[in-house]
Amino acid sequence: MGVPPTDPFELLGLPVSFDLDQAVLEARHRELSRALHPDRYVGRPASERRQALGRAIEVNEAFRLLKDPVRRAERLLARLGVATGEQAERDVAPELLMEIMELRESLAELRRAGDAEGIEKLCQRVEHQKNEAMRRLVKGFGEALRPGAAPNLDALRKELLPIVVELRYYARFESEAHAILDDLS
Amino acid sequence: MLLDIYDPLAPPTPIGIDLGTTHSIVAYVADERPVALITCDGTPLLPSVVHYGAHDHIVVGKAALSYATREPERTVKSVKRFMGRGAGDAETKRLGALKFVAPKNDEEAKSVRFDFGEAQATPVEVSAEILKSLKKSAVDQLTKVGGAVITVPAYFDEAQRQATKDAGRLAGLEVLRLLNEPTAAALAYGLDKKRDGVFAVYDLGGGTFDITILLLDSGVFQVKSTGGDSALGGDDMDRLIAEGMLETMGVADTALRTPELISLALEAARQAKHQLTDVERVEVALPKRGGGEGLYTLARSEFDQLIEPLLERTGRACRRALRDAGLSPDQVDGVILVGGSTRVPRVRSYVQELFGKPPLGDIDPELVVAYGAALQANLLAESSDEVLLLDVLPLSLGVETMGGGVDKILPRNTTIPAGATSVFTTYADNQTGFELHVVQGERELAEDCRSLARFSLKGIPPMPAGMARLEVSFFVDENNLLTVTAKELTTGNTQKVEVKPSYGLTDDEIERMLIDALDHGEEDFERRALADAKVEAQRILLSTKKSLLTDADLLAPEERQQIDRVVSELEATLKSADSAALVQARLDALDDATHAWAGRRMNRAIQQAIAGKEVGAVEQSVAHAAGVDAHVQAHHQASKR
Repeated sequence: MGVPPTDPFELLGLPVSFDLDQAVLEARHRELSRALHPDRYVGRPASERRQALGRAIEVNEAFRLLKDPVRRAERLLARLGVATGEQAERDVAPELLMEIMELRESLAELRRAGDAEGIEKLCQRVEHQKNEAMRRLVKGFGEALRPGAAPNLDALRKELLPIVVELRYYARFESEAHAILDDLS
Repeated sequence: MLLDIYDPLAPPTPIGIDLGTTHSIVAYVADERPVALITCDGTPLLPSVVHYGAHDHIVVGKAALSYATREPERTVKSVKRFMGRGAGDAETKRLGALKFVAPKNDEEAKSVRFDFGEAQATPVEVSAEILKSLKKSAVDQLTKVGGAVITVPAYFDEAQRQATKDAGRLAGLEVLRLLNEPTAAALAYGLDKKRDGVFAVYDLGGGTFDITILLLDSGVFQVKSTGGDSALGGDDMDRLIAEGMLETMGVADTALRTPELISLALEAARQAKHQLTDVERVEVALPKRGGGEGLYTLARSEFDQLIEPLLERTGRACRRALRDAGLSPDQVDGVILVGGSTRVPRVRSYVQELFGKPPLGDIDPELVVAYGAALQANLLAESSDEVLLLDVLPLSLGVETMGGGVDKILPRNTTIPAGATSVFTTYADNQTGFELHVVQGERELAEDCRSLARFSLKGIPPMPAGMARLEVSFFVDENNLLTVTAKELTTGNTQKVEVKPSYGLTDDEIERMLIDALDHGEEDFERRALADAKVEAQRILLSTKKSLLTDADLLAPEERQQIDRVVSELEATLKSADSAALVQARLDALDDATHAWAGRRMNRAIQQAIAGKEVGAVEQSVAHAAGVDAHVQAHHQASKR
């Protein structure tokens, strides 16, 4: 064991996979926090406290990243050699844009009407779409990350990046809808 | 009656302090159970009231409360509502009797300043008086008092937390930790009942409301989400009733209200509220303007209606917190009530409606937070392995963008300690300076969020717009306190970074205030600094010796010799040292000697956490240690940046 990993999967000792067991992720985070949390280092010398703090922050950041399916997917793509980020993800399928626009309009109407139930139904629809997208990502990554697999980067980019973009739009829509629901009730 | 024999070798007793809006409490742990100490008033609950009489005569507690109606302009109640707030804050405009000093410049505008005529005080100074009183009670009963854990509402922002820490320092306390009140309450219940599961802590105090959702799992108390309103509490219920009372008194017109009348109405309102817990209806005789008396009546049902909007605000915060935690109300195993205002019957029934189950309240809701603080103080002093508190960032942290929006760097409910790095660039050609405005809050526009700090990064080499690489790192520690560092990457140098927090006192300012407050100024200050340094040194010696018992196998022989040498030098210095600087120098030497070893111990702990089993000591070797050294060096350099 030499230099410590900065890759979130390795940092938390988890398999490099999109389909992560959330319970294991949470438990691993808790256990590592037990080892590194600043509260454990109250009586130690200053540089040791700083070391622990630095590592605790890394663990928390890795946890946050792996918990978010969009960021998890982006990290996996980066590992595979596919560029992600604002530039790489700027081409959004017109169908997706239309869908999001319609969802937004419906949301605005329902909000004006004060229709919380309607918004809940809308969220359920988006949740369904989200789960579909997640399933496709699990399958796509499952194949690409298989030991011995040598995926074509271009094909991977074309296949998986748009799904990641989709997920991001859904997540953003959901948080807007939830904020409106909180205000309405 | 048994006399406590004072044991001079006994370690100092850590304490927990609930610095509440209405009452403050100090507690400690005896035989694993928390105990609230008796304050100067002869009870565990010390009214958070400070009276500033003539000739620097400062009174705290019940005695100060008795001045409240006679001299309301010189008596500060609910100072917590002013902590961390700037001079123009809305809080200063609410119904109340206090006067404020108008700030003459930006520096002065950073903090509210109470105007007592010939004297002035900031909320930090007022809170420090309360803390001093509690400290004195603790010293009187415990003789040697150690570090203190002070609680704050989970929803307190940076400025409010920093102000609390400053007040602690000003009161001469070693602040071990700022602990969120709901987490403290959960700790008290969790350790008491030893039950795992999901808990919601509904904390309605005098001036603040907090809702926290926690998961208790095998000794780890993990906050999943937190929310609330730092300007909502029992005081607002009082104000609603007081408005009605002032009408009965014939002073509906605000211009006719004197501070004495306002104060009278607020006190009468508070009492009426308390009475309505037990009776269905209150009648209060109040003096009328122009002479005589007026009768003010309030039925419980009317009171319930009056406070419904306040309760609705708590409901909104609860729903959002549940959503943030990804949970529904029925997934909550227990609801814990905290704060005196939860004694109001309508509040209890509202909470039951909200969560679909009757709330827990068997630990006194007014003492439970102090109990939790004392338990945490004890755990920290013992570096306990059994229990861990994992808390979260309550409000998103972000940076103002060119258009006045907010770029979120760390979202709310991120587990702390947390860190994030962002890279910014210049907007104009040959731009040599860069200003960053750090804000806290959930709103879209920076101006609607809480301003935390402005950074000026100077000396950027002239280059075309968009070429510079300004790496800004945000760190939030376990106290939820923020540090920001910045570096200009293209030159590879750390350029001059000026941090101008929009709140808080600098270390120099605190030092100055402490020296001014002491009778013998510098001398006493130096003596206290030496005492503090010795306490810290003892703690570090203890932990070093403990580690030598369990992890000596990770040391090469010459490293061990070096450490033993430095340890004896430190012990010798402690016996004869007359300055804090000397002690600090020895501590630095010990730090250097143990640094690499610390890295190895940490790696072992990490491996155990991941593997979930003991990694045999036999497997550790010096060769292994040498390999790890390289990493530790790199890390050491990184953390020194």
